[in-house]
Amino acid sequence: MANSFAQTNDDVLSRIFRLPWIMILIILGLGIFGVAVLYSATITNTQEAGLPAQHAVRLGIAFVFLFVLAMTPLGFWSAISYTLYFGALLLLVGVEFFGATGGGAQRWLDIGPIRVQPSEFMKLALLLALARFYHQQRAHGDIKFYPHLIAIVMIAAPVGLVFRQPDLGTSLMLAATGTAVMFFAGLRYWIIILGIVSVVLTAPVAYFYVLQDYQRERVLTAIDPSRDPLGAGYQIQQAEIAIGSGGYEGRGYLQGTQSQLDYIPEQHTDFIFTVIAEEFGFVGSLGLLAAWMSVFALGLIIASRSRSHFGYLAASGAVVTVAFYVFVNIGMVSGMLPVVGVPMPLISYGGTAMLTVMAAFAVICAVNLDRDRHLSVSGLF
Amino acid sequence: MKRRSDSGELDVTRRLIIAGAAGGLVAGGLLARLVNLQLMNQEEFEARALDNQISLVPGVPRRGLIYDRFGEPLATHRTSWNVYAAREDLANLEATLDRISDIVEISDERKRRLLENFRREYSFIPVSILSDLTYEQFTQLSVRRPELPGVTIEASQARSYPRGRDFAHVVGYVARANQSEIDAALDGLDPETDRARISRIQGVLKHPNMRVGRLGVERELDDWLGGTPGNYRYVRNAQGRTIQRLDDDENAPKPGRDVHLTIDADLQRAAIELFGDQTGAAVVMDVETGDILTLASNPTYDPNDFVNGISSADYSALREDERSPLYHKAYDGLYPPGSTFKMIVGGAALRAGLTTPNETVYCPGHYDFGNRRFHCWQRRGHGNVNLHEAIQKSCDVYFYEIARRLGPERIAEEAKAYGLGVSYELGMTGGAAGVVPNDNWKRGRFNEPWYDGETLNYGIGQGYLTVSPLQLAVMTSRLAIGDGSQVMPRMVGSGPIIPPSPVYGSLPGHNILDHLRSGMFAVTSETGGTALRAGDIGFEGIRMSGKTGTAQVRVISAAERATGVIDNADLPRRLRDHGLFVGFAPYDNPKYAVSVVVEHGGGSSSAYPIARDLMREAFVRNSGRAGSYEIAAVDRDGESI
Repeated sequence: MANSFAQTNDDVLSRIFRLPWIMILIILGLGIFGVAVLYSATITNTQEAGLPAQHAVRLGIAFVFLFVLAMTPLGFWSAISYTLYFGALLLLVGVEFFGATGGGAQRWLDIGPIRVQPSEFMKLALLLALARFYHQQRAHGDIKFYPHLIAIVMIAAPVGLVFRQPDLGTSLMLAATGTAVMFFAGLRYWIIILGIVSVVLTAPVAYFYVLQDYQRERVLTAIDPSRDPLGAGYQIQQAEIAIGSGGYEGRGYLQGTQSQLDYIPEQHTDFIFTVIAEEFGFVGSLGLLAAWMSVFALGLIIASRSRSHFGYLAASGAVVTVAFYVFVNIGMVSGMLPVVGVPMPLISYGGTAMLTVMAAFAVICAVNLDRDRHLSVSGLF
Repeated sequence: MKRRSDSGELDVTRRLIIAGAAGGLVAGGLLARLVNLQLMNQEEFEARALDNQISLVPGVPRRGLIYDRFGEPLATHRTSWNVYAAREDLANLEATLDRISDIVEISDERKRRLLENFRREYSFIPVSILSDLTYEQFTQLSVRRPELPGVTIEASQARSYPRGRDFAHVVGYVARANQSEIDAALDGLDPETDRARISRIQGVLKHPNMRVGRLGVERELDDWLGGTPGNYRYVRNAQGRTIQRLDDDENAPKPGRDVHLTIDADLQRAAIELFGDQTGAAVVMDVETGDILTLASNPTYDPNDFVNGISSADYSALREDERSPLYHKAYDGLYPPGSTFKMIVGGAALRAGLTTPNETVYCPGHYDFGNRRFHCWQRRGHGNVNLHEAIQKSCDVYFYEIARRLGPERIAEEAKAYGLGVSYELGMTGGAAGVVPNDNWKRGRFNEPWYDGETLNYGIGQGYLTVSPLQLAVMTSRLAIGDGSQVMPRMVGSGPIIPPSPVYGSLPGHNILDHLRSGMFAVTSETGGTALRAGDIGFEGIRMSGKTGTAQVRVISAAERATGVIDNADLPRRLRDHGLFVGFAPYDNPKYAVSVVVEHGGGSSSAYPIARDLMREAFVRNSGRAGSYEIAAVDRDGESI
């Protein structure tokens, strides 16, 4: 039987062999491409000279991390999911009271020598906790309405805490991941449509009463960058110039004038896509998007093949998490969305997001390895 | 194959496909945005990228230098360290000024004016905060430059006049363009269609390094010296730091061209020294070529004071000085030629056949005409004098008689043939024509006819007749060399073509000129001459011929005529006569002509020693030898013709 087949071949070597290698190679390719782009983005600034190498080292560590986590049995992920979730929630509350302030927002918590960003941690924890929750509900038959209410509470708690930091980007991302898991778990279509309609209707209210001034400013600036040409709009205008002037073929590697003359603030972090678009043109941006779309497609296929409901939800939710990064990043850099501070995974310089994304990939890999494994009602082995 | 799953009735595949489709939709939206930016609007964004990085900076052209005959620099450049700030780069100008002020004091008054300027000026025109820093100040500011955003410390070329006072009147000076000069430069440009040119011209003219010629050669030959303003194109990064300057021949400013003058700077120096405390002018000219070797006025001033703007106190001190140091006496100063004019009158009479070299006129010391008595300077009288003796002894009575025979028209015509009454284009500002009067002139000027008595005064170079020291030198050169053509003065040895000055009539032949020259020889070298001590110039036995003159500053009253002229030494300085001398040497083979006017010198005895010593200096130095420049015929655009 397939089940016994899977179990008889469940030694380490065969697990390595069964890893989703195509997806991993694409990820690796994106990471290496990221080092090259980062080199171009930082070459003119001597203070940033070490960043590409540091990025490469982090990438290496992240891959080791990916392989270790990928080999972890799916049941383990499920087993620790609630612990992770409540731990992360506790840390978020901690941030609320003891958090370190950076850039006008409380996001970090200093625990001894380690500085953690619980909101980043929560992205994965929420995903796993929701997947396990729905897995358990599913075992009792088709899901009725009330479990969704519990799910909404599970989502709303971290979203609210992160929003208070304030970190609009991450709270939206948590909400999106949670909503996606609810959708994959079988939330009825008419409720989803109702939800979309109500979000559209309440958005103006949220805009005027929930958002803070600087967040409203960002929204306005995204709509019309020229209203603030020297402030927030400057970054978007310069980004658009960089992307647009790349044209079809791009200016060539290291040849982008916008990038090389430092016209775009944060071009080595959140705005790294501008360097790609300027130097590699439409061909380059299309290639990047295509690479990501392949990763997402492979992720969704892995989700569809999972025997366990937990695996299906965890893999599809992980894909949504990463996709959200990519889509929001390109959308914001190209001036379609407000600047909310979401990096381009694997390519933007920065460690925290890389770890989150690698963990998400690890979940997908683990689902792939244990796709034929049945998980118990409790979600444990 | 039906998928074996724990998900029960849930259609997992459909949900995933919907999610994938939603993702595809989002990706499609992003792609549409990229198509819009990168494929449909690439040109616009490329232009904006170029706009971003290229900044046009008004380019101040390097000004041409001015040299003397032998390549001695008269107007040159020295390095000066200046501090500028550009408004667009300054977040907080006031704080920056305060920080600079910690190192180099900036007065509150100046800070206020600078802030005012920043508000008024175009953002791309840097405003000069400090100029001419000491090296120490420069290094201190350079060290702290990172704290001074938008501030640049640059070496620039400041105009400098190494010969200072000697050439103040000739070379002139440069200054920052004033509003009327800017308006003049923009004259005829349409504010709509020529916007780019207008802003470029304004940008350059208002640039702190830009100077325009304000006086003298600097002003007159400004087009040639000044070059063509342009733009430098800089690639700048987002912080405004210059990455590189683009080589852009088309728009770059074109440097000005050099000018070589015919003047010998050391001879000029000698002339000014010879004047000492006396005021006046001296001109030395090559009789053959017309090269001006000296064009000196004394007293003078230091043009270097004007380059960065002279203080109003210093300027009014110069203006109010009764010796008028600002006045270019050699070129603009007008004096009655007095007896130096007598050769012209004598020559005219010979030419007209109204006298002969041997005809004598009896001089009793006065000449009665109508009911007026005209005195000879020699109250005792000269007795019977012919032309030769009349020039030698400067007998007034002889020339009263000759002038009466000639009448004003013939005298004026002859004077103009020798170059009097002409404004000469020498390539510098100024140039007085003076007055060579005749009946027509007088009617135009005073609405009165010419009176015959005035003709007598005309004959001894007094009355309405006024000439400049330069004209006297031209006159003397033409006397010395004659020979059909009329030598023209020139002061620009190589440089732009100077438009020709007018020439009138013709000179008499050598048969007449020889008589005039022998009279001039007698002045300095034959017993009874009026300037015997000027004959031997004291170098290799060279002898100078010449003629003395005295120009009356005040009208002599009838009472004085009766009692005799008061000795000049008893008069206040400003009423004393001017002393004049013109001469050429060597007498038998003329090379140089000289003219000297000593204001209120009391008489010609003040002028001829200067003329003699200057002439000696010219021979000692061999001032007329070939210059270090090549005389190339070029038009104003620098094209060879």
